[in-house]
Amino acid sequence: MYGAAKLKVPGGKLVSVKLTFDKSIEKIQILGDFFINPEEALVEIEKSISGASISEGKEGIATRVARAAHLNHAEFIGVTPDSIAEAIFLAIGNGG
Amino acid sequence: MVAWRLIGLEQNSAFMNMGIDEAIIEGVKAGSSKPTIRFYKWNPSAVSIGRFQSMRDEVNIDVCKSLGVDYVRRITGGGAVYHDSEGELTYSLIAPESLFPRDIKESYAVICGWIINGLESIGIDAQFSPINDISVNGKKISGNAQTRREGVLLQHGTILYKLDIAKMFSVLNVSKEKISDKMIKNAEERVTSVHSKSGSSFEELYRAVMNGITANKECEVGFLSGSELNAAIYLSKTYSSDAWNFSR
Repeated sequence: MYGAAKLKVPGGKLVSVKLTFDKSIEKIQILGDFFINPEEALVEIEKSISGASISEGKEGIATRVARAAHLNHAEFIGVTPDSIAEAIFLAIGNGG
Repeated sequence: MVAWRLIGLEQNSAFMNMGIDEAIIEGVKAGSSKPTIRFYKWNPSAVSIGRFQSMRDEVNIDVCKSLGVDYVRRITGGGAVYHDSEGELTYSLIAPESLFPRDIKESYAVICGWIINGLESIGIDAQFSPINDISVNGKKISGNAQTRREGVLLQHGTILYKLDIAKMFSVLNVSKEKISDKMIKNAEERVTSVHSKSGSSFEELYRAVMNGITANKECEVGFLSGSELNAAIYLSKTYSSDAWNFSR
């Protein structure tokens, strides 16, 4: 299934998610006007989510995002691991 | 005191402007280029999108092509911006990040503060609007974007001189239904320009912002070196490629 969603992070930027999923997240693209430094880390964050089971829930996905960011020495501005996870589950909810 | 290079106002294509920024980053990283402040316009007019945006989602490619407006993906995050060839002043500041606060949000405040000082000298009372904007009475007048690469800071930003909101909406990917008078009015309530706030000419704006950014710095007027120019030309090919621009 395909799903997409946009989320305005309170006090931050817009994060948009496009993904395909079944019981797990297959392909995912995280888009928006936020900042991540270094920028290359976003691809690693996306990779860390691909294959994740939906049953991990928002908390589990947010943990994956935070861990990938940490491993890549990435700093978020205008977006957070929690808001990315929130957008992902909104996209899954919109999926069909 | 750190010796800075000042490259005066020039106009380039979107691809060359992005190539020049990256060429200077590489030069500063290698120690062959001085910390640099440059001013430029975009000719032809162009849309730039943030590093993490989708070109097809943000930009009306067909309208851009019909109007001769270029489109490019920046290396910095942030949002989509319409750069009118006559409607805005753009700056880039490229320097070792050790010269700035380690905290990115703090360094936005520092650099935007210099622009605010410049605007004040032409009678515009502007405020820093975190994360990365400058506004006048709550209306955005300047957007800025920063990245850091291996110890080098790049911040580039635009100061709106004159607005062409109808053209802005035609090149940004907003559905036709939404380009209504109401929406244009709404944009006018959120965005402002130097032209509407003061009687200053573009030249006066340029001088004011240049003085604001270069104040208390040892600056020497300079140009791109041959190697920087060659690197910029080479890099501009990447910036004009679909592989880069449509990578998301």
